[in-house]
Amino acid sequence: MRILVVEDDPHLAAQLGQALEAAGHVAVKADNGRDALYLGEEEDFDAVILDLGLPVIDGLTVLSRWRAGGRSMPVLILTARDNWHEKVAGIDAGADDYLTKPFHMEELLARLRALIRRAHGLASAEVVCGPLRLDTRARRISLDGSPLNLTSHEYRLLAYLMHHPDQVLSRAELTEHLYAQDFERDSNTIEVFVARLRKKLPPDLIETVRGLGYRLAGRP
Amino acid sequence: MSRPFQPGTLGWRLLSGTLAWVLATLVITGLILTDLFEDHVERQARGELLMHLNQLTGHLELDAGGRPQVLRELSDPRLKQPYSGLYWQVDGADGQPLLRSRSLWDGALSLPPGPAPAPGALQEYRLPGPGSVPLLILSRVILPEADQSASPGPLRLMVAIDEAVLRQPVRDFAGILALALGLLALGLVAAVFLQLKLALGPLERLRHSLARVRTGEAARLQGSYPAEIQPLVEEFNGVLDHDAAILERARTQAGNLAHALKTPLAILANAAAREPGELGRLVTEQVGTARRQVDYHLARARAAASAQLPGQRVAVRPLLEGLLRVMGKLHGERGLHLELLPVRGEAAFRGDVQDFQEMLGNLLDNACKWAASQVQVALESGSDGQLVITIEDDGPGLPEAVRETVLQRGVRADEAMPGSGLGLSIVADLAGLYGGSLNLETSPLGGLKVRLGLPGG
Repeated sequence: MRILVVEDDPHLAAQLGQALEAAGHVAVKADNGRDALYLGEEEDFDAVILDLGLPVIDGLTVLSRWRAGGRSMPVLILTARDNWHEKVAGIDAGADDYLTKPFHMEELLARLRALIRRAHGLASAEVVCGPLRLDTRARRISLDGSPLNLTSHEYRLLAYLMHHPDQVLSRAELTEHLYAQDFERDSNTIEVFVARLRKKLPPDLIETVRGLGYRLAGRP
Repeated sequence: MSRPFQPGTLGWRLLSGTLAWVLATLVITGLILTDLFEDHVERQARGELLMHLNQLTGHLELDAGGRPQVLRELSDPRLKQPYSGLYWQVDGADGQPLLRSRSLWDGALSLPPGPAPAPGALQEYRLPGPGSVPLLILSRVILPEADQSASPGPLRLMVAIDEAVLRQPVRDFAGILALALGLLALGLVAAVFLQLKLALGPLERLRHSLARVRTGEAARLQGSYPAEIQPLVEEFNGVLDHDAAILERARTQAGNLAHALKTPLAILANAAAREPGELGRLVTEQVGTARRQVDYHLARARAAASAQLPGQRVAVRPLLEGLLRVMGKLHGERGLHLELLPVRGEAAFRGDVQDFQEMLGNLLDNACKWAASQVQVALESGSDGQLVITIEDDGPGLPEAVRETVLQRGVRADEAMPGSGLGLSIVADLAGLYGGSLNLETSPLGGLKVRLGLPGG
C-alpha cells in the first residue's frame, strides 16, 4: 500500500518510513504542509499519516483542503496535541483516526491496516476473494485454507489486488502503489510478478485486460 | 434583588439627604416670610393708629368751661361699634378718663401709673383692655391752648387696636404660605425622585449586565453608559479580556511544551523498541515514566489555567455529539453502539468549553475502552441548576474497592489498557474546580456508571 507520511521531524519520519516499509507498504514523505497538500491532491495514496504542527501550512488546513477538493483517502492524524477539543477539530476536519505521541509503532500500524480495510468497505481483518483469504494482521494469504508461500513483492501485489477486487488496475497504478519512488519504474517488473503469482494461483484468477491492466476476479 | 430606594442604597442616601435639606430650607423660608409680613402688618397698624390719633387731636375742642369735647365723629365706623377692637380715649391731668369712643362702651383704657410724659411725644403700649383683650395703644399728651383762664391742663389722648385684629391677617397669610410651600416641597421631592431614577438608571442597567456576565449569558459588559460610568465598564471589560488572553496564552504554552516534548519521546520510544537488549528495555520503561509525568503536569497546568473565567456558558448537546463522533472514529474497529439519550430542553454548562471537552472526552474514552458493545450517555438538568451527565457502559465494571483509587493520580485499574491512567483523576480535579462531583457506580448495563455533576443553567 502507498502511504503518505507527513511529519516535519526527520527522525520520526525516518522511523515511520522504516516501520511502514517493513510492514510491506510504500512510504512517501513530506516534511511541510505545502508539499503534503500538493502530493495529496495530485497523487493517489491508500492512507495518510498526518502531523498537525507543520511548517508553511498546518495539518488541519491541509486536511480540510483535501476534503473540500473531494479527496477521500483515509487519514490518520499523528500529533502531540492531545486535548479533546483538538481531537474533535481533527475528526471534524475529516480525519478517520487520531493517535497522539508518544505512540507504539504496532498500534499505529494496526490502526492504519484497519483504516485501509474500512476504506475498502471491509469489516473484518480478513479479506476474502473467492478461494483467497488475506489476513492483514499476520500478512499471510491462504488459498483454499492452505498458506501460500509468497515473497514480499508478491504479497504486496496480491494484497493490493485483493483490496480492489473486480477492478481493472493499470500497470502504472500498481507500480506506483507497490514500489518506492526510487524503484526502477519498469512496467515489465509488474508483468514478471504477475506471471510468478499466476504460477502459484488457480488459472484465470488474475485476468489480463488488454491494453488496460489486470483484474482479480472477486467472486468465483 | 435590592430595590433602588431601600435604606443603605445610593438612591436612599441621595433621596433622604435632599429631602431633609429641602424641608429645612422651606420651613426657614416660611418662618422668615411670616415674620416679615407680621412686621409689615404692625407697621401699617401703627400708621393707622397715628392717623386716628391725629384726627382725634384735630377734633378735640374745649367748651366754655374749659372741658374738652369731641364735636365731630372720627371717620372710622369701627369707633362707633361697641367692642369692635378700635378705641380712643382722652384722660385728664389727673389720669381720669374724660372722653372715650362709643366702641369702648362702659370699659376704659388704663395706662400704668407714673409721671406723665412730656407733651407732644408719642408713646406705645401693649396692655390688656376691656375684657382683658391685649391691645396696641398709641398715646400722646397735649396742652390745649385755652383762650379763657380755665385751662384743663395737659390731656392724654389714646388710640388702641385689638391685637387679635392685627394677628388675623398674619394667621391667614401663614396658612396660605404653608400650603404654597408644602406644594413646592412636594414638587421638589417629585423632581428629585425622578432625577434620581434617571441618574441611577445606568447603574441599574450595569447591575443587570454584570449579573448576565456572572450567569454566563454574556462574556462582556454590554451597552453604552454615561461618561462617568463608561470608563469603569471599559476597564472591567479590559480585565475580562486580559484574563481570557492569559488563559489562552497559558494553554498555548502548555500545548507548545507538549509538542516539544512528545515528538522526541516518540522517537526515543520507537528507537528503543527496536533495541533488544537491557538498554532498550530501560529506555522504554523510562520513556513511559516520562510520558506519564508530562501528561500529568500538562493536564494539571491546563486545569490550573482554566480558573473559571466569568461569563462562560456553553450548550452541552453539540459538544457531546462532537465527542461521540470522535469516539466513533477512535474506537471504530470495535463497532460500539454509542447512544446519547434524548434531552429535554437545552442543557448548558456554566464554564469553559475546553474544560468540558476534557472531562467528557476522558470519561467517554474510558467507557469506550471498556465497553463490550454499548455506551450510553444521558443528560439531566436539575432544578437546582446542576447539570448531571451519566455515562454507562456494558464492560466489566470496576470493583468498589478500586473506585476510590482510580480517582487518584496516575493509577490505572488495568495496566494492559492503553492510556496513561490519568483520565479519571483529571476529570475529578476539573470537576472539583467547578464545585462539581464525580461518582462511580454500577450500571444496569453491567459495567461502570459514571455520574458527573457540574454547574449548569
